[in-house]
Amino acid sequence: MSEVQRKKYSEQEKNHVFDKEFMPHIDSMYNFAFRLTFDEDDAKDLVQDTYLKAYRFINSFEQGTNAKAWLFRILKNSFINDYRRKSKQPAKVDYQEVETYYNSDDVDYTSTTDLRVDAVKDMLGDEISNALNSLAVDFRTVIILADLEGFTYEEMAKILDIPIGTVRSRLHRARNLLKDQLRSYAKTMGYNTEDEEE
Amino acid sequence: MEENLPMGEKKLSCADVSKCFQLLESILDGENVPNSQAMLQEKLAKCEPCFKHFHLEQAIREVLKNKCTKHCVPNELIANIREKIQEIK
Ligand SMILES: [Zn+2]
Repeated sequence: MSEVQRKKYSEQEKNHVFDKEFMPHIDSMYNFAFRLTFDEDDAKDLVQDTYLKAYRFINSFEQGTNAKAWLFRILKNSFINDYRRKSKQPAKVDYQEVETYYNSDDVDYTSTTDLRVDAVKDMLGDEISNALNSLAVDFRTVIILADLEGFTYEEMAKILDIPIGTVRSRLHRARNLLKDQLRSYAKTMGYNTEDEEE
Repeated sequence: MEENLPMGEKKLSCADVSKCFQLLESILDGENVPNSQAMLQEKLAKCEPCFKHFHLEQAIREVLKNKCTKHCVPNELIANIREKIQEIK
């Protein structure tokens, strides 16, 4: 993911890299874009911008390295820089705010949850998706990257330009927020929570 | 309290929740944790909070991975991208 200008690709090599290393990720890219913007047209624009940038800066991509992480990083930066600015949707929590309030890597690891494994497993796809979509964009992003796309902490650190410790703690907080959502769904579904002392 | 537990019984409180849970989450996230399998077996067998936390976290990851709504790439998107690239070539 180095920004160093490497040897230049020939026209033919460019097409090869683009088709064989970039295009196969379009499914994941579109889904990431959709989950960030919640809008088909915005997602299409974001993916298209990302691929155009990828093509324009193709010489800074080293063939055989992690193309998917490289593309995700471009998409996430485009989202922050271009899309978020013109978006009408008010951000629930801004990236900057999250950094200010939550940038400490100390996380409170406590077992307070009364959510049952069975209740989680019985959730519908819509409920899981809604719970994920309800999270502020920073928290949603780490869950998408880790759980839906299978990136490692190290890859996520590079995609998001944050230290690995911050990846770990943000992911932990994100999953706790997700559990809060799922717990409230579980309650409306009538599952008994494990202890009713709340 | 934590010593001399009868066989097969789990501690009801975890000696170091932060350390244990962070470790369990790293293992579930596929990070390279040295000696992870042995440690995992030990914690799940002996500590009730660790056991519960592990299985809940595992279930959360499973449903996220398998149940989240997937969106199909709109047909025209790939064609549009290729067209735009021809323009900037
Ligand atoms: Zn424990």
